[in-house]
Amino acid sequence: MAAKGPLKLKAKGRKGSKGSSSSSTSSSKYELFKDWTNWSLKKAKVATHYGFIPLIIVVGMKSDPKPHLFQLLSPV
Amino acid sequence: MADLFPPLVTAQIDDKPKVDEKVDYSNLPCPVPYEELHREAYMSLKTDNFEGLRFDFTKGLNQKFALCHSVMMGPTEVPSQSPDTTIKIPTAHYEFGANYVDPKLMLVGRVMTDGRVSARVRADLTEKLMVKANAMLTNEPHMSHGMFHFDYMGSDYRAQLQFGNSALIGASYIQSVTPRLSLGGEVFWAGVPRKSGVGYAARYETDKMVASGQVASTGLAVMNYVQKVSDKVSLATDFSYNYFSRETVASVGYDYILRQSRVRGKIDSNGVASALLEERLSMGLNFLISAELDHKKKDYKFGFGLTVG
Repeated sequence: MAAKGPLKLKAKGRKGSKGSSSSSTSSSKYELFKDWTNWSLKKAKVATHYGFIPLIIVVGMKSDPKPHLFQLLSPV
Repeated sequence: MADLFPPLVTAQIDDKPKVDEKVDYSNLPCPVPYEELHREAYMSLKTDNFEGLRFDFTKGLNQKFALCHSVMMGPTEVPSQSPDTTIKIPTAHYEFGANYVDPKLMLVGRVMTDGRVSARVRADLTEKLMVKANAMLTNEPHMSHGMFHFDYMGSDYRAQLQFGNSALIGASYIQSVTPRLSLGGEVFWAGVPRKSGVGYAARYETDKMVASGQVASTGLAVMNYVQKVSDKVSLATDFSYNYFSRETVASVGYDYILRQSRVRGKIDSNGVASALLEERLSMGLNFLISAELDHKKKDYKFGFGLTVG
């Protein structure tokens, strides 16, 4: 009974691996896509966190009439 | 002699168009956006009362671009275990912000001393399609959130699609049924607590009053009514009922818009009375006083502030 156990597990393991190998390409593609979107969202979050306010300042300094750099920095 | 008897006939002709105006169902006005259904009621009933000192300085660099600095000092509430006690921690922070406002593009960003950035973007892609995004980003992992909205404005309807982080999807639609009545509905699906919900709303407005109601499958039913008593005074009342937790809140409020100041106040069935006064001391200088008395929890908040620019 004890010997049958590991045999059954091995059979299951082999079946499992055979089943996954046929769908492994599609499942791994999905995994890759999910990983890629997570990576890009993390980078986008960092970029927005540090770059959003400088972006507004750059866009604002280019608008007409162009304000001076002195007006940006002075407290008055 | 002819002046003593003004022609009566012309007076009657002036009155007729008002009475006989037929409803042109193909030419209905565009309704308010779904999230602004209760706009008039919440102007008096959900004012942003604060506690402590608030100082805002807005410096305009040109018509479209402005920088703002604001300082806030006061106790901030921390959620506590028991609902009876409120824990307050005194904090002070400085916030720097930049605004760029264009008819087609609006960018608003704020950054605080603890590194939190709040960003709002609104862009008109075409005349009818508008994209809005807002995000609150922090340095702590998994505490940031953001939402995108796509709004389409038709001739007498508005449709909106929303996407948020942690798999939040929502859609809403509102349609003008008569020149005064508009009906709408919304659907949302939240991925993290796997919940979905449906809601319906209706809004009836005339020149003098606005009545609106909203029901949602999350258990919340809200009805409110605003009466514009005169140019300077409007009164509002609101009733909200949660049919799962059986909590009801009713409130009555007023909004006085005077030449130099604006006073808004309300009283609640939870024993909360609050008021907010904004006084224009001179051009560009506004003084604010806020008070909120919660008699049930014995929590009294008073704040004052100054807004320059």
